[in-house]
Amino acid sequence: MKKNIQMPKLSEQMETGVLAAWNKEAGDVVKKGEVLFEIETEKVVSEVESMESGVLEAVFFEAGDEIKVDEIIAVIKCD
Amino acid sequence: MEKKPEWLKVSYNKEAVEEVTGLMAKLKLNTVCKEANCPNLGECYKKRTATFMILGSICTRHCRFCNVSSGVVETVDPKEPQHLAEAVKELDLKHVVITSVTRDDLEDGGAKHFADTINAVRVLNPGVSIEVLIPDLQGVEEHLDIVIAANPDVINHNVETVREFYPEVRPEADYDRSIAVLEYVKRKAPHIKTKTGIMVGLGETDEQVFKVMDDSLNVGCDIFTIGQYLQPSPKHIAVKAYVTPEKFAEYKKIGEAKGFHYIASSPLVRSSYRAEEALEGGKS
Repeated sequence: MKKNIQMPKLSEQMETGVLAAWNKEAGDVVKKGEVLFEIETEKVVSEVESMESGVLEAVFFEAGDEIKVDEIIAVIKCD
Repeated sequence: MEKKPEWLKVSYNKEAVEEVTGLMAKLKLNTVCKEANCPNLGECYKKRTATFMILGSICTRHCRFCNVSSGVVETVDPKEPQHLAEAVKELDLKHVVITSVTRDDLEDGGAKHFADTINAVRVLNPGVSIEVLIPDLQGVEEHLDIVIAANPDVINHNVETVREFYPEVRPEADYDRSIAVLEYVKRKAPHIKTKTGIMVGLGETDEQVFKVMDDSLNVGCDIFTIGQYLQPSPKHIAVKAYVTPEKFAEYKKIGEAKGFHYIASSPLVRSSYRAEEALEGGKS
């Protein structure tokens, strides 16, 4: 099963966030709870944990991109 | 968006956040974690802890650092104390922190609602330690008496910033009044731990920070917190400096040498962050 990874809404007012870094690359094995990527918002950088275990199949954005909340940023092929 | 220093990194676990958020919604409760867009929300919710915010989510004041909304306030929910007590039970908290918006529109500033909430928590959760982070209640002693009479373990009132920045940062507050609140609580109930805190990064000098420490110690304050101010949005007052972890460590060392029972000082410290540890430390 494949699961879309969306841009999380880290606060009530958040409309967009900047993808600060990927901690995994396409093709990497990802375990639930591992940091998948980092998002920079007004106050801090949030290390976003993966909610799935599997293989990171595709990523659609690069570090530095500003992304709308809920936009699909990656796909994980779940175990 | 300005790049953040390396030390301003936090973790976010969607499931953990949604679990606590769901509980709060079910019980019609607010948390300052959410309303203030606290950077520690992810960590605290993952540990199933939160700081409750009573008396609604709309504040009557307009502090320029704060993300809590201002405007037309809500009716006070008489069921809130009971709901909050139920949430403490469901989260199995051993230490609860309760704060509020400032309600200058209410005759007692919300003091009785604070007391009702403390009492409700205690009835349903015997043995739980209770910390209240109160507004200044306009310095009215009889209103402070209502909170004191409910006998929480800790009464926190944040000074928030150095005296010199009040007109710009807390235009409707008064530095001396806030210090007087801490003084009054300690004088009336010496057994209750008093606590205050400031944000740094607004351009204050070390001497101004040390003066707040001295003023707080002079009124018997037990616990002091220092954290980095973070701008919630471009509309809020700007960050002047990202204070380094080394500087925070220096503040802690100096504050402890001055005589505080406990100081929490690091970039992501907020007044209720790991408050249970501060209470334990403050007992020594």
